[in-house]
Formats: sequence, structure tokens, C-alpha cells
Amino acid sequence: MSDNIFAEIYNRILSLLGQNAKDESKNTAVNRLRLVLMQDRTNLTPEIMNRMRTELIAVLSRYVELDKEALELNIGQEGEHMGLILSIPVIRAKDEAEIEQAIKEEEEAKKKAKEEDSEEQDSDTEETQESDETSEEETSDEEKEETSEETESEEETEDKEPVEEETSQDVTEETPKVEEETTQPEEIQTEAVKKSIPKIEKSKKNDNPSEE
Amino acid sequence: MTGRVIVITSGKGGVGKTTTNANIGTALAREGKKVVMVDTDLGLRNLDLLLGLENRIVYTIVDVVEERCKLKQALVKDKKNPNLCLLAAAQTRDKSAVTEEQLKDICDQLKEKFDFVLVDCPAGIEQGFQNAVAGASEAIVVTTPEMSAVRDADRIIGLLEAKEDIKSYKLLINRYRPNMAASKDMMSKDDVVEILSAELLGIIPEDTGIITSTNKGEPIVNDDDSMAGRAYRNVAQRIIGEDVPLIDFEEEAKLSNKIKKFFSKFLNKGKEN
Repeated sequence: MSDNIFAEIYNRILSLLGQNAKDESKNTAVNRLRLVLMQDRTNLTPEIMNRMRTELIAVLSRYVELDKEALELNIGQEGEHMGLILSIPVIRAKDEAEIEQAIKEEEEAKKKAKEEDSEEQDSDTEETQESDETSEEETSDEEKEETSEETESEEETEDKEPVEEETSQDVTEETPKVEEETTQPEEIQTEAVKKSIPKIEKSKKNDNPSEE
Repeated sequence: MTGRVIVITSGKGGVGKTTTNANIGTALAREGKKVVMVDTDLGLRNLDLLLGLENRIVYTIVDVVEERCKLKQALVKDKKNPNLCLLAAAQTRDKSAVTEEQLKDICDQLKEKFDFVLVDCPAGIEQGFQNAVAGASEAIVVTTPEMSAVRDADRIIGLLEAKEDIKSYKLLINRYRPNMAASKDMMSKDDVVEILSAELLGIIPEDTGIITSTNKGEPIVNDDDSMAGRAYRNVAQRIIGEDVPLIDFEEEAKLSNKIKKFFSKFLNKGKEN
């Protein structure tokens, strides 16, 4: 036990001298490994995850106005159990009229897409699927633009503090961020703020057992 | 007597399966257990070299399977410890020379006469692995704190879990560098255990003594002063069922790291002035 006291004293002194500040490559290794193992174990490739994410956004956008860029879909693991962790930052819940309108628009878009398809004379099943998806996305984008115009004043105040609905906060903190490698740089900026908090907590967790 | 058949496997090559086999086997024999080591790495046999028995091999496992000799005749006794035996692999044949059933049969026969049957598994996940695992009911998964080794260990664990006959598997972290783990330049034992979520059997520190002991054909557990030897002896005791705490290499390394850094900083300052 006396060893530990000395170690702690040295720790303290060194941290005062600023010697602990360096990049720790093992964290990179751990995060890369976690990600690759999740993929090995499940066959959920980044491509599939991305697809799932886009489709989820389309569905959720019917009912709530959400921060699409900040939506997180990760594979997580707690002990032996694996799960998907979805974090949906909600900007504003839609009222019934809006929801119905969104659904209507979606259906119309689908009809349109179908008509277009039949005009094009079904070339490939894959292609029709793809065009379906893109049309869904388009409608959800249109939706957002429309609704955001309607409620701009509201958003300005609420945008600063988006209400977060996290299915399981604990797990999210400890799981690797799948999006880091798979999505656009714009998103990383918004995430960086969120991540900085769990990171500090984690490093504390890591230090504790070794000092005990 | 019904002994325990333990397969030592890793997926990745070069992480220290054979070294682990030689040392755990020798350590168990030192504890007074009757141990036989079975090398299933046909065509690439090395266990005999680590034990210094390469010149004593007359018959191999293939000779047993093809009935050129009896199983008992093919067992090579260790130089020092009469409790320890080796069933060598054939160097001139490939993995197809022995089938899963044949290996299972050999293991079943051996466990009647020995407390421990340690099966040295070849690298990879192909037939050689399937053969080696066939007769075992326990497994030791050897890995190092490197990404590639951990990933392969994860794959092996997945395959072991699918085997009905394998009742338990445990993790052995080899070539551990406590200095690098303490300075967070390498994954720590906790990282590896958490990622693989497997039970930890032991940690063997990186030790240059392994090389010299291989040169001599003398397992490092016989060296009482060696750190790796001490760690292997602890692993053997844990296998027997004794409660031996893990050596905290990291804490020792952390302390010496800090002291070194601290003083080197002062020394450098002195030079600058």
C-alpha cells in the first residue's frame, strides 16, 4: 500500500509539472479495436449502419423535428449483451396536423415515385428501392425546411438546448462513436462538445483502479 | 483417473502458444502433476525445441495414428521431470495426416493416465485448429496486448463458444509490457479483458529471458529469478485451483517510470543550465 501512496504523490507532482499531457495511442487502439470487433461479430458494416440511420431519420421526422446531424446510432456492448444505442436530439415535437401533413406528403411522394417508376419501365428491383429511399429523404428534407420556416422564432430559443432523449446514457458514453469515421465533418463538431464530457469521466474511471 | 484436456490456442501466430504450453506443462509437472503435452502443429513442430527434446523423438503422433507404434512408445519423457511427457508432431506431414476423431481418441486415452493433457494448437482457424480442439474440454486463449492478436483472439473465442465440448475458456495475456501500459502507450490488461469479456487466467510480462531459455531448450519456469517464470508458475497454480493473486506489474512499472521521468527531468535541467 505504501507503494501506492508514493505513486500517487509522483502522479500529483508530475501532473503539476504538466508531464501527463501527451496523446495516448492506446485509446486509439481500444476504440479502433472495439469498432472492428463489433463489425466482425455482427456483420453490421458502416454502410448498413448509415443506411439504418437514414431510414430511422425518415421515420422519426414524421413525428418530431430532430437534429439530424446530431442523431447518433451506435452498436454498444455491456458485458456479453450487444445492442443498438440510438440518441435522438429532439428540437420540437410536431402537432397532429403537422404529423398528418408529413405522412400525406410522404405518401404522395411515394405515389409519384411509383408513377415515375412505371414510366421508366421497371428496369431493376434495386433501382426502384433506391429511388424510393431518395424520395423519402427528399420529403423529409422538404418537411424540415417548411416546418423550420414556420417556427423559426421558436427554434432560435430552443435550438441552443435541444432536448435529448437517450435510450441509455451510460452505455452511450462508453461505446465507440461509429459516426466518427462514417459521416460528414460537420457532425463531428457538434459531437465534440458532447464527447468531451464522457471522456473526462472515462479517464477518471481508468485511473481509479490502478491507484487503488 | 480422468485428467483435464486443455487446448492452448490463439488464432494469431507468434503470440506465444508453444512457449505457454512448454512453461505451463513444466510448471504443472513441478507441482507434482502428471502432464503430457501434445503438439498438433503437424509440419511445423516446435514444442520439442522449447523443451530441449528434439534429439529424443523416435515416434510422432502420426506414427501412433498410422499404427506404426503404440501410444505409450511415442511419449518422450522430459530430461528433468519424470512427470512430464511429450507427444511430438510429425515434421514431414501436413495437417491432414490426423483427423479430429483420431485426435479425440488419443486425448481420451491420454487422460486416463495423466492429470493434464495440454494440446498445442497451430495458428489459424482451419482444420489444424479444429483437430486440436476436438479432444479438449477446456481452452486457454493466448493473446498479446496488440490489436491484431486481440482481434484474432476474439474470433477464436467465438469459435470456442460454438463448440459443445469446450466447457470453459480463459484468457492469458502474453508479452505484456507494464511500462508501456502504465504510460498508456499500449493497451492495458483491463482493456484487453474488457474488450474480449473473458475470464483472465494470467499475465506474462515480456521477458528477454524467454529467448535465452529457448536457446537452451529449458523452459523459463525453471528459472526462479525470472519474472515471466514466476508469472507462469502462478498460472499453473491457478489452473490447479489455487487462489493466487495477479502480480501487479503495472504498479511496479508506473512507479519506476515516474521516478525515471522525474529524475531525468532534473538531470536535463541541470545539463541545460
